[in-house]
Amino acid sequence: MANSTQNLTNERLGSLYRTMQVIRQTEEELARCHQRGLIHGACHTYVGEEAIATGVCSHLNHNDVVFSTHRGHGHALAKGMPPKDLMAELFGRSTGCSQGRGGSMHLFSPEIGMMGTSGIVGPCILQACGGGYSSKILNNGTVAVAFFGDGAANNGAFHEGLNMASIWKLPVLFICENNQYATEVPFSYASGNPSVGNRGSAYGIPGFELNGNDVLEIYRVAGDAVARARAGQGPTLIECKTYRTRAHAEGMGDFTYRTREEVEAWKLNCPIAGLRKSVGVGNYDLARSAELVERFDQIDAEVAELVKEARDYAESSPVPVAETATNHVYGPQLGPVQDPVGPSSRTISFSQATLEALSEEMAINPTIFVMGEGIGKRGGNFVTTKGLYDLYGPERLCDTPICERGFVGLACGAAMTGTRPVIDFMFADFVLDGFGEIVNQIAKMRYMSSGRLKMPVLLRGCIGIGHSAATHHSGSYYGMYGQVPGLRVVVPSSAEDAKGLLKHALRCDDPVLFLEHREILQAKGPVIEGDFEIPFGKGRIVRQGRHVTVVALARMVHLVSSVSDELEREGISVELIDPRTVSPLDTDLILESVHKTGRLLIVDEPPGQYGFSAEIAARVVDEGFNDLDAPIKRLTGAFCPTPYSPSLENVMVPNADQVLAAIRELMSE
Amino acid sequence: MQKITIPRLGWSMEEGKFISWLKKPGDLVSVGEPLFELEGEKSLQEIESVEAGILYIPADAPLPGEIVPVGGLLGYLLEPGESPHSHSQSTPEPAARSFTGHDELAAAVVKANETSLGKSPTEIDRPENLAHLPVASPRARHLAKQFQVDWSSLQGTGRDGRIRESDVQEASGRGAAGRPSNNAKQGLGTISPRRKAIADRLRASRDLTIPVTLTTTIDATELVHLRQRLKHSNPRLVPAYTDIVACLIPWIYKSHPHMAVVWDTQHKGLIPVPHDQIHIGIAVDTPDGLLVPVVQQVGLKSLQTVTQESRKLIEQARTGRLPKTAMQGGVFTITNLGSYGIEAFTPIINLPEIAILGLGAIRREPVVMPDGQIMARDRITLSLSFDHAAVDGAPAASFLRDIAAAMADPAAYILNSVH
Repeated sequence: MANSTQNLTNERLGSLYRTMQVIRQTEEELARCHQRGLIHGACHTYVGEEAIATGVCSHLNHNDVVFSTHRGHGHALAKGMPPKDLMAELFGRSTGCSQGRGGSMHLFSPEIGMMGTSGIVGPCILQACGGGYSSKILNNGTVAVAFFGDGAANNGAFHEGLNMASIWKLPVLFICENNQYATEVPFSYASGNPSVGNRGSAYGIPGFELNGNDVLEIYRVAGDAVARARAGQGPTLIECKTYRTRAHAEGMGDFTYRTREEVEAWKLNCPIAGLRKSVGVGNYDLARSAELVERFDQIDAEVAELVKEARDYAESSPVPVAETATNHVYGPQLGPVQDPVGPSSRTISFSQATLEALSEEMAINPTIFVMGEGIGKRGGNFVTTKGLYDLYGPERLCDTPICERGFVGLACGAAMTGTRPVIDFMFADFVLDGFGEIVNQIAKMRYMSSGRLKMPVLLRGCIGIGHSAATHHSGSYYGMYGQVPGLRVVVPSSAEDAKGLLKHALRCDDPVLFLEHREILQAKGPVIEGDFEIPFGKGRIVRQGRHVTVVALARMVHLVSSVSDELEREGISVELIDPRTVSPLDTDLILESVHKTGRLLIVDEPPGQYGFSAEIAARVVDEGFNDLDAPIKRLTGAFCPTPYSPSLENVMVPNADQVLAAIRELMSE
Repeated sequence: MQKITIPRLGWSMEEGKFISWLKKPGDLVSVGEPLFELEGEKSLQEIESVEAGILYIPADAPLPGEIVPVGGLLGYLLEPGESPHSHSQSTPEPAARSFTGHDELAAAVVKANETSLGKSPTEIDRPENLAHLPVASPRARHLAKQFQVDWSSLQGTGRDGRIRESDVQEASGRGAAGRPSNNAKQGLGTISPRRKAIADRLRASRDLTIPVTLTTTIDATELVHLRQRLKHSNPRLVPAYTDIVACLIPWIYKSHPHMAVVWDTQHKGLIPVPHDQIHIGIAVDTPDGLLVPVVQQVGLKSLQTVTQESRKLIEQARTGRLPKTAMQGGVFTITNLGSYGIEAFTPIINLPEIAILGLGAIRREPVVMPDGQIMARDRITLSLSFDHAAVDGAPAASFLRDIAAAMADPAAYILNSVH
């Protein structure tokens, strides 16, 4: 410590001391407030670890971005969040940094580069990679920092994130705060390799192992790492060995997994006391030492006043209005959508239509980049990016390792920091490895930040049963995604819809699951040339009819269409509706149709249980009961994984005969 | 057992005069059948039964001609096999009197029981009894109510005898489109409840108001321009002329307190309309006849909101989904026959309102301008009917003059509005 202090000015030393003291005193006040029942949920304090956030964040400016973990109060404060914003948030007030939507584990202040803390261990590592990727795409020199604990070092996100950061030389600092317990499980038990810092070499990046309670050491090493990142030399892993001297969360028992003696010993190793000690007369001349001690004393008093004011502010702030509870799930509706000026005489395939939409949008919007396996030079397994690599280069057409969770998490961080990622996951089954990133992070980010973070992520890939693809290349899953607030789920059936919906998705600021049925990718249809969008939540009447309403998506639209003429000859007039988007769902269009026909059949490829068809049936019963002249019928896929052999695969999915029978049966009800 | 009570027919109705029963005690009443006549604040109405059952009238029930408060009890509808005694706490009189006083009911109850099981009332097994009731689809029941068809007596053609829409249509003698077919019995005229309601309202207006219609023709060029501009800025939400005029009314009301009134429920006194209660009716032609949905609190809303709401109401009116409550509370009505090329007409005042404004066709005409030049301008004729019993001609004329002035230069009101 002695060597490094002498290079720093009194101002810098005071500033480091002040940040640590703000964290310490705020945390202690929060602990008191928690005891008095003023904090509603969990409260994870950072007491004992102040040196790390302080040493690292001192090198960051407001454009640099921090992604943090459940123990994130210190990161937020060190990044520049005023204590009053933090305290108001924990008090559940509308003046809190997340306006009352987050609490201790969901702190957002994107305005100052505090991109959020998370209740899930690991995602911040991937999101920081996304922040780094945005920095490359936007070429704006920003640096991203992930703070995470020793628990995350043994999580897959660590492996996937560090590897991606290494191969793409991302400007990212990975700061592992090894406080020796992942909640209550000792690191010494949970880790085969007792060092985190030396794992850097496994990924080909510099790694350091530091005393996490020595703010000056951290300041020095982090400074080098930030400089390296800004210079385009890639990421750094820094392990800071430290200890939290309060319980995992306020109110939790502490001595089932560690001893009082151990805690007391670490309290003596306090980083704040350590900095005070380092400016003693042993290291400085008497005058400078006295001046620093006086400065520190003054800071102590100022911070005490600041924290008191913060608490008063939090306590007197209004609670959020209950009526606003569901605001910010989605972004505001886009402006008027350009109507298609069709019909077009040109006929192209579904995949040509989506390629055209993507290429047109990438030409307009330089923040769009595509990630996926084989989407670079190869042009995509399903030719989704054919030719784009030559047009837009390797950074915007980025081939990935096979790490779906990794690059989906990266997309989240990229979207948070100003770019528009397109994740081409090839098969919907594959992206399930990133399901947590989609559901917990991407879908919730706008809401948790009270609308301040946009989430323009497009996740696209294939669904659907056929050609003996078997069970890991054939799932649809859209019903599952339809249950997630915050997501838009698009399942087009025609080439023209695919182009219009994809263009809309690439202009929408909400995350979109764009699911393309593999068996209709080559289906051709007229597609308007040039610019047009199809908004979400507007279904299409594929065929007008009078007697029975049939709702279907994707390939099932084609199937029902193919038998409708036969039914017409029998005197059964089918009205076929393709909602086009699962979420939002165009309930009105379906209700209008049922009002006309009095009968409803839903034909859907995936299993019916808890699915898309069940949702439609429930809505029609709720809102259109008096229009029903017969029970609602569903014809869905089998509740079964998809088998390989054609004889088995054939019986998984509704076929033409079953559709005919179901409609005839419904007419006789 | 379901209670039959006095319904509220208008937003301010507190009591009504019970006129007469349209069914006899012991009659089997179906949903939608006219059950009794009630005189509300505006008119005499046939009240349809909202439940099905056998009519039971307690001895102390209100007699014809009595004034009964809203919610007051008139009688009960019993299920077949149900005795009024089994609900002693809700039956306001002793059992013996009930039967001696209402032999017909006793006979009906016994008959219903006998036809189902041939057992004495105490032996009736309720679920089994219910199983004998026919099943009808929700759509069929809904249609039956609309057509006043007693579906419980129909033979269904659906699965397991379920009564379907087509069965009700056939029984009502109407075609599949829900309109009367040509099979209607010759010689006997019919009138739909909707048509009757319209006739009753118009008749009440004729009987109670002293209508005078004023007309004036104004330059509508700016009005047309304004709408074009709004159309250009948002092609998905283009206000109708009625929407624009509706938004002007609260402004005009400010300087015309004599016009900003409605009749009270007794039609004896006039009640001022506060600014936050300016609900404006828009006359809509629907397949089932004239309806007047009401846009609430126009004085507090932007043109955009008024346009959205009126569009929704009109859509509901045209598809038969307009709730009754959406037609209540109006203080002024706007009616537009311009699309038929009509220039001026004499709109009928919609009680308890005291005035109604008719919009004519906008046509392009040569106009002598103040500087003597002749120019092609858009012109529209306004027809204001007002109730001379409520207000005199001069204030009404001044009201119309100010509406005309505002319509001649609407942008000043619409674009500056800071509702």
